[in-house]
Amino acid sequence: MTVYLVRRLLTLIPVLAVVVTVVFLLIHLIPGDPVGVMLGPDATPAQIEATRRALGLDRPLYEQLFKFYARVLQGDLGQSYFLDRPVATALLDRAEPTLVLTFSALLVAVVIGVPSGIIAAAYPGSLWDRGLMLGALLGVCVPGFWLSLNFIYLFAVRLGWLPAAGYASIFTDPLAALSYMVLPAVSLGFNQSALIARISRSCMLEALQQDYVRTARAKGLSQGAVTWVHAFRNALVPVVTVIGITMAILIGGAVVTEIVFNIPGLGRLIISAVLRRDYPVVQGVILVTATAYVLINLAVDALYVVIDPRIRYE
Amino acid sequence: MSLKPSRRAVLLALVSLALVAGAALTADAQKKGGILRVGNLGEPPALDAHWTTASITEMLTNHIYEGLYSLDNNNRPIPMLAESHTVSKDGLGYTFKLRQGVKFHNGKEMTSDDVIASLARWGKQSVYGKTLFSQVAEWKALDKYTVEMKLKEKSSIVLISLAVPNNFGAIYPKEIAEKFAPEVKSTEWIGTGPFKLAEWKPDQYIRMVRFDDYKPRNEKPNGYGGGKTAYLDEVRFQPVPEVATRVAQVETGELDFADDLNLDAYDRLKKNPNLRPIVSKPYYWLVAVLNKKEGLMTNAKLRQAWQAAIDIEPIMKNVAGGHTEFYRMDSSLIPPEIPAWHTKLSGLPWNERNKDKVKRLLAEAGYKKEPIRFMTTQEYKWMYDFALLSKQQLEDVGFVIDLQVVDWATLVKRRNNSKEYDAFTTGIGASYDPTHANFLTASWPGWTTDEDILKLQAELARETDQKKRQALWEQQTRQFYEKVPVIRYGDLFGLRAIRNTTKGFNEKTERVRFYNVWVEK
Repeated sequence: MTVYLVRRLLTLIPVLAVVVTVVFLLIHLIPGDPVGVMLGPDATPAQIEATRRALGLDRPLYEQLFKFYARVLQGDLGQSYFLDRPVATALLDRAEPTLVLTFSALLVAVVIGVPSGIIAAAYPGSLWDRGLMLGALLGVCVPGFWLSLNFIYLFAVRLGWLPAAGYASIFTDPLAALSYMVLPAVSLGFNQSALIARISRSCMLEALQQDYVRTARAKGLSQGAVTWVHAFRNALVPVVTVIGITMAILIGGAVVTEIVFNIPGLGRLIISAVLRRDYPVVQGVILVTATAYVLINLAVDALYVVIDPRIRYE
Repeated sequence: MSLKPSRRAVLLALVSLALVAGAALTADAQKKGGILRVGNLGEPPALDAHWTTASITEMLTNHIYEGLYSLDNNNRPIPMLAESHTVSKDGLGYTFKLRQGVKFHNGKEMTSDDVIASLARWGKQSVYGKTLFSQVAEWKALDKYTVEMKLKEKSSIVLISLAVPNNFGAIYPKEIAEKFAPEVKSTEWIGTGPFKLAEWKPDQYIRMVRFDDYKPRNEKPNGYGGGKTAYLDEVRFQPVPEVATRVAQVETGELDFADDLNLDAYDRLKKNPNLRPIVSKPYYWLVAVLNKKEGLMTNAKLRQAWQAAIDIEPIMKNVAGGHTEFYRMDSSLIPPEIPAWHTKLSGLPWNERNKDKVKRLLAEAGYKKEPIRFMTTQEYKWMYDFALLSKQQLEDVGFVIDLQVVDWATLVKRRNNSKEYDAFTTGIGASYDPTHANFLTASWPGWTTDEDILKLQAELARETDQKKRQALWEQQTRQFYEKVPVIRYGDLFGLRAIRNTTKGFNEKTERVRFYNVWVEK
């Protein structure tokens, strides 16, 4: 197991090298220019050229790429053109909101998704099954921004129960943080719960048809004990995989949710960085996201061993 | 029935008392304290007023810094950090007396050394500064509170250039002005304004707090200038990129003021008793900038055909979401909010909708249905809307339009390359002087290199007699519609919303300012 983990960690290096290079080339090769955006609509071409020189953007692309590699190897992600601060600082500032949103939404998604899938599987073809799966279908189909805006209109504007948008740190004002996080976590969690519910249902259905379940029932165990103790744990591996993928996606930034609810997280950062062509920030966010993605996948793989002792990594 | 003298006296006394009390109450109403939360579109690229023309930077920096001059209610120059000025008999020497005792946010007194260093930097970077300093022969301090500008030739744009609020001649401490090269944005933000920067957390807020040592002018508030009072303890500018969220937050009271709102929200905001929508004028006149350096649009007949083809009112109505409050049909190149330069000329070939003329001009141009590359962006919905409607109208009369929809960053890069487009969309904000019209210069994208236009612009910059300048501007306007360097559509207005608890806000200025504003909560 240890050898396996070390080997997986080592594969991180080429993965990140490829990701970083591709992102660097993509963002530099698409048209657009940070300087034109920064200097405003009335700037003249001469002004733009002078500022491009000052930022080193007039240098050949390969030279900029090698400089970028050299910096990354020294642990320096560069300086944001727009934010007047190191990219690492900008990323750290955004990490807390994104992590809080990720875990809150994931909690909502799991709390809705897993029980829905299990209940639907336990009573296949019933009204429960149809109702819950219709809910899951809606969760997949309803666009996140539509749901978010309607939540804001209903719960903030009409009813006044919760703030429309914003963010407060859980470390400075936990109550305010909670009130700000309810709507984004529920709207994002509802969207994400759909896939978890569908996967949970199909895995549970499969598990419930296995011989050991029949044996358990033959022993006279209750439906609850059969479902939760015997079938559920065996159905859990694919469900954990989906939860892991969902988490990785959310860490990369729940872009729409962060923008609609004005949460200063990584998703909002990368969107504004792409629109402004703030190259160092785009590269930094992608590097961090790719690392998180690989590490979460690794953690999920390691978790399989805990869930299912039959799994062995040689 | 008549009142006895004693009763009259008592009544008069009571009325007087009521008036005095009323006045006192009004004065009390302007109370200090509180936080004002302002929702705006996004992050500024810099808080260096010299460095960028971005309007968000203009709005923010005008709370922190001040220039020698500012603009009054009619957008004419009035002194701000300058006490007064004199002009030599030959018109080549401007001597500025500075106000004494004005302090920077770091406690240092502002003197001529700071003014010289700041405007020298501004003159190398700012659009307006460069134009002005191209006419300056010498720029020096005469004593601690007096500076002198010697010109190479007579100029009409000295005061107005020092007064424009965008990309403006903000006075920084000398140490900062000299520390940052003009092309490098300053990252130290110290000014003499009524608010000082307390904290900048990108994508969360910019906090400005009252500068207690601010020395206001003695006059009443007047436009962007005059007496400024920071009643608020703090102004918190919060970037809220999603416009629907900005609307919701001002409705719920999470924001006290929201700028740049979607016109679709107007009816909903009007119904809310706790706030007031504001139509902000002038905003932009919509424009298709034509590439006159190379390609199809170098052909003047083709440009004239475009101008003759478009039916502007339906385009404007559509862009304004059907609300007539948000657009104006006007052919003047400078809006009526700047009365000194607003023209009312009849017989201009604007909004002609003349299909026969279009056909004739297209034939004379030798146009063979080559696609015209028209660049626009969806990041600004109004740009995309008017480009799309223009395409339909133009294609109805024989044009072939290749509408290229790109993001704003791409558009602002491509528009500097004459090989990449024939036309692009943008908006033209208020020019406070005819010489500030960038679309009439050879250096701005689109490249207006017409000799007659440039000659008149140069004359406008030299001529100092106001009546003669007005005549020149009218001549230039007629010439504009004949040569068609760009296509002028109608005026579009913006939408803002303000909570009823926010008082003292000046609705008449194009850009928002929060000095002289207080909150009642």
